Amino acid sequence: MNVATMPSKAQPKLRLRNVSKEYVAPRTGQRTLAVSDFTLDVRAGEFLCIVGPSGCGKSTVLNMIAGLDQPTGGDIEMDGHHVRGPGAERGVMFQDYALFPWKSVRDNVGFGLRHGTPGAGLTAAERNDRVNHFVNMVGLAGAEAKFPHQLSGGMKQRVALARLLANGPDVLLMDEPLGALDAQTRMVLQVELLRIWGEAAEEGDRKTVVFITHGIDEAVFLADRVVVMSSHPGRVSAVIDIDIPRPRRESIRSEPRFGQLTDEIWSLIRDEAYQAIA
Amino acid sequence: MVSLMETRTAKELAEVASESDVDRKAGARYPGSVRAQGRFWQARWFIVVRAFSVFIGIWYLVALWVASPIQMPSPFKVLEALIALGRTGELFDHALISATRLVISLVISTLIAVPLGFLMAMNREANAFIDPIVELLRPISGIAWIPLGLFIFGVGGTLPIFIMAYVAFFPLLLNTIDGVKSIDRKLMSAAETMGVSRSARLLHIAVPAALPSVMVGFRIAFASAWAAIIAAELIGSPSGLGFAIEWYRQLLMSPKVFAFIAMIGAIGYLCDLGLRTLQHKLTPWAEGMGIGQ
Repeated sequence: MNVATMPSKAQPKLRLRNVSKEYVAPRTGQRTLAVSDFTLDVRAGEFLCIVGPSGCGKSTVLNMIAGLDQPTGGDIEMDGHHVRGPGAERGVMFQDYALFPWKSVRDNVGFGLRHGTPGAGLTAAERNDRVNHFVNMVGLAGAEAKFPHQLSGGMKQRVALARLLANGPDVLLMDEPLGALDAQTRMVLQVELLRIWGEAAEEGDRKTVVFITHGIDEAVFLADRVVVMSSHPGRVSAVIDIDIPRPRRESIRSEPRFGQLTDEIWSLIRDEAYQAIA
Repeated sequence: MVSLMETRTAKELAEVASESDVDRKAGARYPGSVRAQGRFWQARWFIVVRAFSVFIGIWYLVALWVASPIQMPSPFKVLEALIALGRTGELFDHALISATRLVISLVISTLIAVPLGFLMAMNREANAFIDPIVELLRPISGIAWIPLGLFIFGVGGTLPIFIMAYVAFFPLLLNTIDGVKSIDRKLMSAAETMGVSRSARLLHIAVPAALPSVMVGFRIAFASAWAAIIAAELIGSPSGLGFAIEWYRQLLMSPKVFAFIAMIGAIGYLCDLGLRTLQHKLTPWAEGMGIGQ
């Protein structure tokens, strides 16, 4: 009966229509087309990974969705509304953590709640509970009073994740969040990320994630769909469904389907990857 | 033979390792303090005492060689003068007057320079307007303003305060601008994506992010102001350490002149020590990131 008010399946969470981004060098006036004709729908609750060769404009796309960067052409919509600038409903996790060095773990996680729109209408106690909840969720209990410079890379990443989640965004935009970590830490955090992503949602209503990575196996392990980008200018070259069932465990990395998908994506990127280093 | 060498190497390695570990914790400031326990000649206090002993020894020899108590009094004469001036309280009276002027001038300078630095770093037009004036005034030593200051303020406490505030202004301003300009853009972006307003970003990100650099500026400002106060008080003030130096110079009482000079050095040294401690307390993260040292 309430069909009209229910979020229809056809309505994507994010809609990017022919988005392009052109940079003009201030002195020379030289134009560089970073992203061209980028069209993509991101479904509500899906985990979408974007992979592509270095410098293909992955981060530019993410920044435009975040509202930190303005497209020079096309349109970006969230829930049918034009994206004009940054907002707390689209949380961003940056590659190099972007933690506030003068704030403790607790205050970093609670920064948005304390100073931003996500904390509006919450009492101090409610904010505190929320901070504690997410600090515990990412396994940082006991480290609340530490400062970023006292933490390892993996722990900083956990703080960044807790800070992202504490603000309760609708869409999680993650820019190579595990890129700076060593291989082992990265694999551990991938599993944890999936756990938290599924667990943080209420009754199967998962958050929408746009996750940028240069790790193809990481994309296959995490994503529902993988967008493969090509560069000069950055475009969508393929969208690949990852039909590996969830919940995903470490063991899927050795399954044949995992290898097939990884190979398929690699074959799409390989030529450009070789060109990039040549 | 081989095994002996090996054990020695391993032990040395362990020593080097533990030393560098502690060095890092101590900010690599006192590399010798690691093995302080049980070996007093590597203790921090001993290193300080040793440096002073050598200095005073040379001073004594030079005083013997010059053999003129007016040109070069011996360290013992100076110590006597210090004690005498300390007994009468004259030493501390003048020191207190000078220190009060220093504090007032630094407060004035900070209140003007730091907000102005924020404005200039964040507003291109303000910067274009103010920067040429600053760059024009900056090379002009504070001392150059003393003759003019005498006309404007006359002899008294205002002139040294003005000169010191002037001298302290530039390092504070330039370091503030530098600090604000070098704020990590990512932190601002991160806050924007948390729905943090512009004013809150200024207060909770720009201010703490610039603080390490402002603290560095403050330390330089203090040192410059303290160096300038003496010149200002020599000429333009009826009180303070600079005045006392000039007073006893005219009376040809060199040991007392030296006693006041020693007081200037001692206050400067202690204040810098205090400021460094404050810096460490206020911006502990800056050392971890290798800035603000």
